[in-house]
Amino acid sequence: MNSYKDFEVKDWVEDLQFRRWVYQGESDLFFRSYIQNNPSQLSAIEQAREILLSIRGEQDVISETEVKSRVSEILDAIPAANQQPFLWWKGNWLKIAAILILAFGIGLSLYRRPGALNELAFTFAEVQQPKKARSMQVTNHTGNIRLVTLPDGSSVILKPNARITYPEQFDKSKREVSMAGEAFFEVVKNPAQPFIVFAGSMVTRVKGTSFSIRANDGDDEVELVVKSGLVEVSALESEDEVAGQPASRKLILKPNEQVTFNQKNKIMTAKLVEKPVLLDLTVEKQDFEFKRTPLTEVFTMLEKTYGIMIRFDADAISECTITAKLGDEPVSEKMDMICSVVNAKYELSNGVITVTSNGCD
Amino acid sequence: MSLIPVKHSDNLPEAYLVTRWQQFCAGDKSAFGEITELNYAPLYHYGTRFTPDRDMIKDCLQDLFLSIWEKRESLAEIAAIKPYLFQSLRNNLVRRCRRQSVFSEIGGNEPFDDISPESDWIINETDHLTSTRLRQAIDSLPKRQREALYLKYYENLSYEEIAVIMGLQRQAVANYLQYGIQKLREYWHHAAVFLAILSDINWY
Repeated sequence: MNSYKDFEVKDWVEDLQFRRWVYQGESDLFFRSYIQNNPSQLSAIEQAREILLSIRGEQDVISETEVKSRVSEILDAIPAANQQPFLWWKGNWLKIAAILILAFGIGLSLYRRPGALNELAFTFAEVQQPKKARSMQVTNHTGNIRLVTLPDGSSVILKPNARITYPEQFDKSKREVSMAGEAFFEVVKNPAQPFIVFAGSMVTRVKGTSFSIRANDGDDEVELVVKSGLVEVSALESEDEVAGQPASRKLILKPNEQVTFNQKNKIMTAKLVEKPVLLDLTVEKQDFEFKRTPLTEVFTMLEKTYGIMIRFDADAISECTITAKLGDEPVSEKMDMICSVVNAKYELSNGVITVTSNGCD
Repeated sequence: MSLIPVKHSDNLPEAYLVTRWQQFCAGDKSAFGEITELNYAPLYHYGTRFTPDRDMIKDCLQDLFLSIWEKRESLAEIAAIKPYLFQSLRNNLVRRCRRQSVFSEIGGNEPFDDISPESDWIINETDHLTSTRLRQAIDSLPKRQREALYLKYYENLSYEEIAVIMGLQRQAVANYLQYGIQKLREYWHHAAVFLAILSDINWY
């Protein structure tokens, strides 16, 4: 069987996951702990790594900014003749007129019903956030936790009654979602495309971390606790505030730090907690460390932690064990790693993961 | 609603890229901008395999993207986007290198049956490639083998895609790759043998 245990230099070179570690530094935690736990393979791994680096050779550094400016040069060089003629029915002015009429209507209704101001703020918050692309909303109507996999592969565990709204396709420059209720996030690392969560009037910005949020409808306070990575929290800026206050306050939180955000006065209070447990979810306490753990046990644990179903042939994998330390990756990445260690494959459809394996010797 | 697990290093899902390509073919400028941005750096790095002249690579890239914008309507059929772009850049660069070699003295003494002179593998001192023996190993390989290895292992392209890009038969690509990897491993083994002659008996 071709599990990592029996890998030789050539197998490492051929392994996509391994190449991504060498070239892009992905799954670093996994490979480092793998090498530590399997020192006899160090020389083969080192050899494979050097072969791969020599294949890539020396490489210029070309920054994102440089790429962007080259692209705009290219776009500028497109002959103007290619531009579309002005189409009056496609112009912005129609939209502007529609907005003016709408605003007038809302203003009129507010004038007649002054108590509706709060509702308006809420409506605006909803309209502002998920724009572009078709938006998807998932509400957990069950009594158990429910896993949602976002378009970028990030995992969200919704507690009962929690809901999340996200675009069918994320914007290229940022990943925006909005949520209400209680949820735990494991965000795919991608510094070029920040992940932004709108919860009530609190805005959370991350690049790739795991954290819990509690933002129940009607509560004055929104709470957040960080399990791993860095998280930036700020208040949702509304039009009048931008004019009134010079700079909005931001708070950077580290693991085991918890913030309580008061939606009324926009005051944030941070404190250090012993364990990053806010919602009493298994995943908040789980460190995903396995030492010769039978694969069946690992799957059962993942099922419980994420509220998913994993189908597998228990007889076929009865001999498989795993020694690894997985971090705060989303479910799909955890499954990728586990499957590559035991030479198995998996498919995810309708929230059910089906694993096929030829077994381990 | 589809829940497809997407690995973060595949920058974006294939279906999305295909959609954007179709939009670009239909004249969508923002899709064109995005395609350009996503492919610029990989193409640039690939270009450095052929010539040390960075300005020429950037020129070629600009020409390449402007020309695909011009003929966008005829490109809707293309299914393999990345290999198509790699192939186009390669053709452009090879053509330019040839032309340059006719007029300039620098490239003149190198027979231009293939692509690049040896000196094209620019060695940048800031790099962390510590092992000089591996540098020797890779330098000892023929240019086309090096290129095939780069496309296979660094760019994760398939044999078929590499064959298209390099204008070779699939079998030729397979041979290049097999010999290439074998050569690199042998270099390692030789080094290892010097270090531990006694313990290393059965690799022959």
